[in-house]
Amino acid sequence: MSSVGIIGNMDIVSGFRLGGVKEGVAVANKDEAIVAFDKFLDDELSVIIITQKIANEIRSHINKKLGSQVLPMVIEIPDKDSKSEESSDQLAELIKRVTGVEMVK
Amino acid sequence: MAQDIIDGINPTRMELLNLKKRTKLAEKGYTLLKEKRSALIKEFFDILDRVKGVREEAYSKLNEAIIALTSAQIVMGDMAVRKASLAVKESIDVDIASRSIMGVSVPIVNINMDEKSLIDRGYGFNDTSIQLDEAAKKFEESIKLVIELAEIEKTIYLLADEIEATKRRVNALEHIMIPKFKNTVKFIDMRLQDLERENFVRLKKIQSTVEDKEEENSDEMEIAV
Repeated sequence: MSSVGIIGNMDIVSGFRLGGVKEGVAVANKDEAIVAFDKFLDDELSVIIITQKIANEIRSHINKKLGSQVLPMVIEIPDKDSKSEESSDQLAELIKRVTGVEMVK
Repeated sequence: MAQDIIDGINPTRMELLNLKKRTKLAEKGYTLLKEKRSALIKEFFDILDRVKGVREEAYSKLNEAIIALTSAQIVMGDMAVRKASLAVKESIDVDIASRSIMGVSVPIVNINMDEKSLIDRGYGFNDTSIQLDEAAKKFEESIKLVIELAEIEKTIYLLADEIEATKRRVNALEHIMIPKFKNTVKFIDMRLQDLERENFVRLKKIQSTVEDKEEENSDEMEIAV
């Protein structure tokens, strides 16, 4: 059973296919990304890998669809040309939100 | 807030007993939840330490893989790489189990990925280059790390949600429910005491009236005698 999927640009998808991920969808714009993401959800994949640029564009869609359920796990990976700072920023924000009060204490 | 009491409460002894019971329960719940919150936050920080290392490793592996892929594309051309990639057999299978951290079920991923030799990958050797083999290998390695990272990140998000919910509950108990209970208990207690005093005064009054009357009676009796 296939349980890993990748949404990204052509190159990334080719790369992951080489690595053995079969469910790869190369997308060029936001609408395609949403369609691909929904398809993955319908297929009940357990891990969905999305490149950061695309994830940023469809973030609200992702959050709306996922809520707080455990599966699928959505993971963002940096693009060929983007830095990895953004997702650690997100994490820092989360830490601040969760532990902020305790940290001050 | 300080004088907040539960609306529509009857100041009776029955209610007082009930409320005292509820206060005790609320306080017990409060301590328990506080402990849960601390435990969750501890877990949260433990896992935060892990995520940094894994993320860096995954990202650098991925970067290497992308560079290897680019060189394969340079040597073979875009189309050929794409064609070869389509021929690769699916080799990743993940098992998802879950474990519970303080009642939060978090995923545990088991990646079943067998080491593949060149032949198992599935593309032909005729029109592929060694750079492609290199890229495929690097991608296999990085996919493993990326999935591990996904597991950890998901855990972090789930824990964060639970911590927030617990925190809200702890605060609601600490700042709203428990003071409210205590105020109400105090209110009923004072009310009951008041009633008791009222009763006492009434009794005294009756007693004195009765005594007055008895005196009058005895006076009359004496006169009669």
